[in-house]
Amino acid sequence: MSSEPIERRVSYLGDRLRASRCQSCGKEYFEVRDYCSNCGRKSYGKMDSIDLFYDKGKLELCTYINEPTNKFTKLSSFIYGIISFHDGKIRVPGRLTDQLITAGGDVDFSSLEGREVVPRFRRRYSVGANDLIPTISLAFTLADEYYPHQEYNIITPTKEYDIPGVVGYGVYTSRFRIKEGGMERSVPFIDEDSATAAVEAGKLALIHSGVDNKLVGKVYVGSESNPYAVKPTAAKVAQVLKLGEEDGDVQGVDAVDTEFACKAATSMFKDASSLVSYPRSGIKYAMVIGADNSQAAPRGCIGGELDMFVGYGGAAFIFGKQDVIAEVEGWYSCTSDTPDFWRRDGEPFPMHGGRFTGDPAYFKHVRKSTCKLMEKFSLKPSDVNYFVAHQPNPQFPVRIAKELGFKEEQYLPSLQINKFGNTYSGCSPVGLASILDIAKPEERILIASYGSGAGSDAYLLRTTSQILDKRKRQKVNVKFQAENPFIEYVDYPTYRRLKTGM
Amino acid sequence: MQSRPAIVGVGRTKFGEHYGKEPEKIIEEAWLAASNECGVERKDLEACYMSDCFLPITNKLGLEEGFLSELTELHVPMEVTRSFSAALLTACHAIQAGVYNKVLVGGIEKMTDRWDKIRDDLMLLEDPWSYYAGGTPEANHELMLRAYIKKYNITGENLDKLNIALAQVAVKNHANATKNKYAQFQRKITVTQVLNARKEARKSLGLYDYAPISDGASALILTSDAVAKKLSDKPVYVLGCTSATDYLNYSAREELSRFVAVDLAMKNASAMAKTALPDVRVVEVCDQSTMMELVSLEDLGFYQPGTAWKSIYESYQNNQNCYEVNGRQLFVNTDGGLKANGNPLGATGGAQIFEIYRQLKGEAGERQVKVDNASPKHGCVLELEGFGTKAYVSILGEKKD
Repeated sequence: MSSEPIERRVSYLGDRLRASRCQSCGKEYFEVRDYCSNCGRKSYGKMDSIDLFYDKGKLELCTYINEPTNKFTKLSSFIYGIISFHDGKIRVPGRLTDQLITAGGDVDFSSLEGREVVPRFRRRYSVGANDLIPTISLAFTLADEYYPHQEYNIITPTKEYDIPGVVGYGVYTSRFRIKEGGMERSVPFIDEDSATAAVEAGKLALIHSGVDNKLVGKVYVGSESNPYAVKPTAAKVAQVLKLGEEDGDVQGVDAVDTEFACKAATSMFKDASSLVSYPRSGIKYAMVIGADNSQAAPRGCIGGELDMFVGYGGAAFIFGKQDVIAEVEGWYSCTSDTPDFWRRDGEPFPMHGGRFTGDPAYFKHVRKSTCKLMEKFSLKPSDVNYFVAHQPNPQFPVRIAKELGFKEEQYLPSLQINKFGNTYSGCSPVGLASILDIAKPEERILIASYGSGAGSDAYLLRTTSQILDKRKRQKVNVKFQAENPFIEYVDYPTYRRLKTGM
Repeated sequence: MQSRPAIVGVGRTKFGEHYGKEPEKIIEEAWLAASNECGVERKDLEACYMSDCFLPITNKLGLEEGFLSELTELHVPMEVTRSFSAALLTACHAIQAGVYNKVLVGGIEKMTDRWDKIRDDLMLLEDPWSYYAGGTPEANHELMLRAYIKKYNITGENLDKLNIALAQVAVKNHANATKNKYAQFQRKITVTQVLNARKEARKSLGLYDYAPISDGASALILTSDAVAKKLSDKPVYVLGCTSATDYLNYSAREELSRFVAVDLAMKNASAMAKTALPDVRVVEVCDQSTMMELVSLEDLGFYQPGTAWKSIYESYQNNQNCYEVNGRQLFVNTDGGLKANGNPLGATGGAQIFEIYRQLKGEAGERQVKVDNASPKHGCVLELEGFGTKAYVSILGEKKD
């Protein structure tokens, strides 16, 4: 049994690594303090709130833990130590995550001391099936490895656009991959889930856009692997990323989870665009995140075919009308009650309609939305520079692209299924991000998502000159993660173990 | 210290696993032993102070005073603290204040009843943020060792000597425990065994570096000076008894290679006892790990910071069961320490006092140490709560004024 108020307080401090600094003597404290213990009464009310969420720390001391306490047994063994921030002004305990330490051999942990580390938002430890899922950012990865440290600098916008669009985005996938056949798929570390990916993606989108987190008025999180049946992931994202005006421990932001199989996020692109355009909304920016620890039954079980294709990760897009990098020119969405893929409440793994997931489902809807949108804008396939389709497997997006008359140079750059697998709600958004990573100004991008059950959203985007300015702010782009030298490949049993989580 | 409180009788149980016994049975055994020793009847007791660190968690007991009342059939004031030294300190204050003249101080813990969850509990109580970050009860000891090695730049041959010195702490404590019928472990171990256990665990400290978890109880009768003189021809006085406190979270502390609280508590206790350090020749330290024994000897002031391992290493080379400080012998953890005697948290401090009491009275049998061919005159007990979050120092000895 976990205590809900304790959980709330620990998460509130630990997810963001909230800290305090005395205005008079400069002493810093992990946790929120009302007064400084050096300066006493006179410092009351004169403590600055700081946090370590975007900081980088240094691993000062460490040791190796191979007999963890009960709640950490699923991590089996890990490096644990003391991390200092701000030249040792503040020290916190922490564990290194994203490390699979194999049995046997010597562990030379002392060489890790002095290395720079980045806080990562993760699950804290294992709990019972009915308990709240504890999270924390006292998990760290080495800054010179897969996930580098990046500063978050708020940038004052310089240009207002007539129509809304993407102002920044971020893609997050884990460090681990399973490689089978010609395909690599991202595998979460054991302390990751769709919520942690959503937060990481949102963090990267804020870094890329330079948007002030206080000005994000709404966040949508689309997923079909929400760790909870009831409890919004979006609330976690809003609190950890401090979206909207902060008032005490409440954020002035609207946050909502959406679900429509793999199009839960893309469906909201138009809502986000519309919201920031509505003159009386008062909302400057809206964030849409699609993230999934894509579920699949193990091979050999019913529904186990999905296990060949599922990945892990998420993408976050911030929509607004200032400093836009890709304007949303228009969209077309379609829906029908086609039951090609489903997961009953309480069931861990989804089922699918076999060959009926193709023609009457994926192809019919993607074709429909794309054709209608092109019709609406009187476009020929050659009028767009890039075509992005949902990628449930390596074959479907290629077949539909060809059928619609797109050429390889238009659809191949967005194909990320072979690098990360099908990240469900994050899938076509990751494809779109990979195009935004490379597109030149004034290029047109057509994206068509697909969500089982069934529907498709097609969007027409046009890039602006600002896409180039912002590109250098994001080191952790899609290619960086796909071709990272610190990727670690795991075997099938490890993949299933990590995916099942803590 | 005006009106020095005196210990007139001590009692304890064997430490280890008491699978078939209720916690009440164990504390009863300890307190009856103490009362037998000095002939104090239960109806003579004016108050009881009892310690247990987490009996409410391990044994689902919320009001320990209740069973103490049942055992003694008394309805006098009874209070519960987390450690034996805390109970003793509170009792001393009451006696000094003249409120009571005869009180019972007891301690009990029954850790094996919650064997499967004990490390989570211990860690969560000791340092929650470290627990949330994945820390284990052992991890902070290993980090302190790392901090120590780095701060004093101990490398190469010296590092090997430090590692052997730490092993020697466990070897010496196990050897001492073989002469203690109450000790949890009654067998000798070798330096090679300690080193091999570390190698096996691929860690800087291994199985033989840590105190076990234990069940057990301890008790003593504390009286005013006047009462003590009637009950005993040679009472042992509590000359100094004090405590100091530090942060809960180890990583947030100013100093990582020592316990500031121990240093403070010792200084205050020495001043209170008007006893110079060289006069203290028997010491019980809180060796939750071998590292703790080493660092405590420095924190208590017996050695300069960063040097205790040299003397311990010498004791290994000379095959001695005591250390040398400025040419004087210092006997540490003669009962086997927490390492081999056992560590039932709430009762541990009582066993430490028990040992010093026996040594000062010359009743320690095979373990008896001699200073100038006589029983030592002063002894010191260091007890810790948490990982150095609280430090209690008690100096016992003959009354001087």
